[in-house]
Amino acid sequence: MINVLLTNLPYLLRGALVTLWLALIVVTLGTLLGTGLGILAAGNSRIMRAAITVYIFALRGIPVLVVMFLGYYAFPALGLRVDAYVAVGLAQIVYVGAFTAEIVRSAILSVHPGQVAAAKSLGMRRGTILREVLLPQAARIAIPPLLNNSLTAVKQTSYASIVGAWELTYAAREIVERTLASFQIFLGVMAIYFAICYPLSLLARWYEKRLTVAH
Amino acid sequence: MAMIEVSDLRKSFGANEVLKGVSFAVERGEVVVVLGPSGSGKSTLLRCINLLEDWQAGDIRIDGESVGYRVAGGGRRLAWPEAKAAKVREQVGLVFQSFNLFPHRTALANVMMGPLHVRRMGKPRARELAAGLLEKVGLADKADQYPATLSGGQQQRVAIARALAMQPKVMLFDEVTSALDPELVGEVLIVMRRLAEEGMTMIIVTHEIPFARDVSDRIIVVDGGAIVEQGPPAQVLAAPASARLKLFLRRYQGDYLAV
Repeated sequence: MINVLLTNLPYLLRGALVTLWLALIVVTLGTLLGTGLGILAAGNSRIMRAAITVYIFALRGIPVLVVMFLGYYAFPALGLRVDAYVAVGLAQIVYVGAFTAEIVRSAILSVHPGQVAAAKSLGMRRGTILREVLLPQAARIAIPPLLNNSLTAVKQTSYASIVGAWELTYAAREIVERTLASFQIFLGVMAIYFAICYPLSLLARWYEKRLTVAH
Repeated sequence: MAMIEVSDLRKSFGANEVLKGVSFAVERGEVVVVLGPSGSGKSTLLRCINLLEDWQAGDIRIDGESVGYRVAGGGRRLAWPEAKAAKVREQVGLVFQSFNLFPHRTALANVMMGPLHVRRMGKPRARELAAGLLEKVGLADKADQYPATLSGGQQQRVAIARALAMQPKVMLFDEVTSALDPELVGEVLIVMRRLAEEGMTMIIVTHEIPFARDVSDRIIVVDGGAIVEQGPPAQVLAAPASARLKLFLRRYQGDYLAV
């Protein structure tokens, strides 16, 4: 019974490699985008704040699958042909970016206002205050939820299979169609996803412990 | 020329006017203590001088320069851009009631912040300067500790060293001992007293009456957003003119039942 899984394991692992790549790109770019927007959303420009709030609230109210479908069909509607990976990747980056922005924004705003007053009273300029005072303190607060956010993002890449981007889940469905061994194959897929995510979970725990020790 | 000259300063938070036309001057090397009940606008006054608050009318001059606003055509007041305000703050040190040390930096790194990131001093020089200042406030042995591991009195002395590292022309102290346990107050006041003796221009908001008597050249009494009395400490404290100050003094001199 387990043989079906073993013989198809190489194919699944090739899918896992694609999943890993997709996840890496989505998490990295999504986090970068979200961090930038989060910093702006905690800043002084009223227009920026309003625009980013709309973005955050809109994306929070839409299932990631719907965002991906929109992303997938938006390009053809505009007369553009893009690769399924690009459409899926962009949609997920935008989605991850919204959640990241909210985490970063609230982390910056949670730094005590006395910190900014002290930095200003030394004559620090805005950029310096952000770099030397706000971001290091906000990072301590933001990193645990950001790691959690990344975990969700990794798992969400499995939706890519629905719009036809080949990765781990897609590969699994192909094998199941051929072998009809759905249970065994998806048991294997489960194990692979877990193996990808587990290090991130460990990292989050380790960081949490470090937080309670430092300072 | 006065080091600080405040003329007819008015400041409101919404409908609540907290400074109702305050005028006074502080000469170079002078130590002025501001007394007054809480909510009388003392902290706001200091924060205005350091450009941390905006104000609605009046003028503040630091070392002869009118700061914070420029008057545009038609008499409209325009707030200075942030970078210009920062230039003024470089010359005016402020120490807070709640210390506000940077918790992610060691004591030494806290003191180095200004020299490194505002003065653009090289690391070795900034380190040397900061180490000297920590020594001066009696904390040379705590240089590598994080603020959370220091007592309140030690944190406040680091905060004073941090402000001094900018080599300011004036130091403002905003109730710097009010958050401290009584036995830690002395070590902070001693540091401030030494600064005063060295000729630093200082404005000190405090409730420590004996300290005010010893250290200040002049006491200003603020109540309800206005100056109600001022003069040499001996005169103001020995023969307070206003009923409000009499009551205030009784309470801070140990009569906790004074109403």
